[in-house]
Amino acid sequence: MTLDWNVVWQYRGDLAQGVLLTIALTVATMAIAVPGGIAVMLMRQSHVRAVSFAGTVFVEFFRNVPLILLVYWAFYVLPILTDIQFSAFATGLVAMCLNVSAYNAETFRAGVNSIRKGQLEAAMAMGMSRSQAMRKVVLPQAVRRILPVLASTWVSLFKDTSLVSVIAVGELAHTALQIRSQTFRVLEMLTAMAAIYWLLGYPQAKIVDWIHRKYGVTE
Amino acid sequence: MESTAAGLRKNGDQPPVVQYDGVVKRFGSLTVLNGVSARVNKGEVVCLIGPSGSGKSTLLRCTNALEIADGGRVVFEGQPLPKTEGELRHVRQRMGMVFQNFELFPHMTALENVAVGPITILGANPAEARAKAQMLLEKVGLGAKGGNHPSALSGGQQQRVAIARALAMDPDVMLFDEPTSALDPETIGEVLNVMKRLAEEGMTMVVVTHEMSFARRVANWILVFDEGRVIEEGPPAQIFDAPTHARTQSFLSHLGWNG
Repeated sequence: MTLDWNVVWQYRGDLAQGVLLTIALTVATMAIAVPGGIAVMLMRQSHVRAVSFAGTVFVEFFRNVPLILLVYWAFYVLPILTDIQFSAFATGLVAMCLNVSAYNAETFRAGVNSIRKGQLEAAMAMGMSRSQAMRKVVLPQAVRRILPVLASTWVSLFKDTSLVSVIAVGELAHTALQIRSQTFRVLEMLTAMAAIYWLLGYPQAKIVDWIHRKYGVTE
Repeated sequence: MESTAAGLRKNGDQPPVVQYDGVVKRFGSLTVLNGVSARVNKGEVVCLIGPSGSGKSTLLRCTNALEIADGGRVVFEGQPLPKTEGELRHVRQRMGMVFQNFELFPHMTALENVAVGPITILGANPAEARAKAQMLLEKVGLGAKGGNHPSALSGGQQQRVAIARALAMDPDVMLFDEPTSALDPETIGEVLNVMKRLAEEGMTMVVVTHEMSFARRVANWILVFDEGRVIEEGPPAQIFDAPTHARTQSFLSHLGWNG
């Protein structure tokens, strides 16, 4: 069996574009799913039973459905529900956001619960409202505490974006698989794909570790 | 007792800042406060003493509705404590509270801890709030520590920042919940000195404490708690030198207090 690594270089432009789209999808998903996760977490902690129930249903549903199914579901069902034809990218983004928001909601909930009650009391005793106390006192501490968890969510998210290739979003995985089927260079393309994901993913994990060391709070 | 005491007490002729009318508090089947009535006059330092679990801290926490009384009522500046969170916020803004475990916000510097209340709650100009915070830190002897996070401060320093944080809201009354109980012995003095100076400036203070010498020297009035009741009250000289209640006598002698 002869290997032709030249094919990777030959399609470097397409691969680079795939990489950009993968990064864009990751960043956009996290940008939505962090506030989304906080919102769902706040819903779950609401004193209004219907609201907290809705939050719980959201988390338990979207966390326990396979992501690939969500991607397909968004692809087929979203246009019917909304009567809008979403682009493949937007469809993939919606599916990713639903899934990651559910995970983030649980992460934030654990983070908030880990902040001792006295902190909330101190804020309330000053005269802060519950939402001010959350915004100024509890959440900033919770976010620092759960940074490592968010980091690993980020790194899995970066790899999980490959699942949206099934609805033909032209990110890295889809691009690489397209090249594979056009050139029949299976081993080269899959290896290149793995190498690119690793090369991009590993530094991200390291950067997040560094952020954690720099901004982590010691008590 | 109330009528005779009123004349003796500092500003006893004026309406009280805080008044407790038969306050009852239960946690499940446990009655922690069993009908406590007392008053705190303007400019007074009232110390709450008594054995652990006698209800002192719970009464303090009922004052600013961190705990909601199950019976009786707490009256602040002539108004019973409101029921809704929204109205309670306005009452709490006028009461400073200092906790046993400081509860400084660890993600903020000392200066930010002191400035955050006025900026967030009162909408104060940030530059002015920070200037005032700096002034308050100087007042508690920590003018050079404004940039430090709480983790870089000793316990005594943290508690002094916590006092400055409470003062930043210009409270009408300061509530202290065992402010020196979590401190190393060598830093207790610096916190008590700040509290003593505050008392001398005329701040109205309610202090739950096990520091009997502080209570003896600084308090205007002592409430002795036992099993959810005030069993004895009076000026420090009377409580410490001539306690009338057997439980007060045994409590004080357990602490090694001999007048």
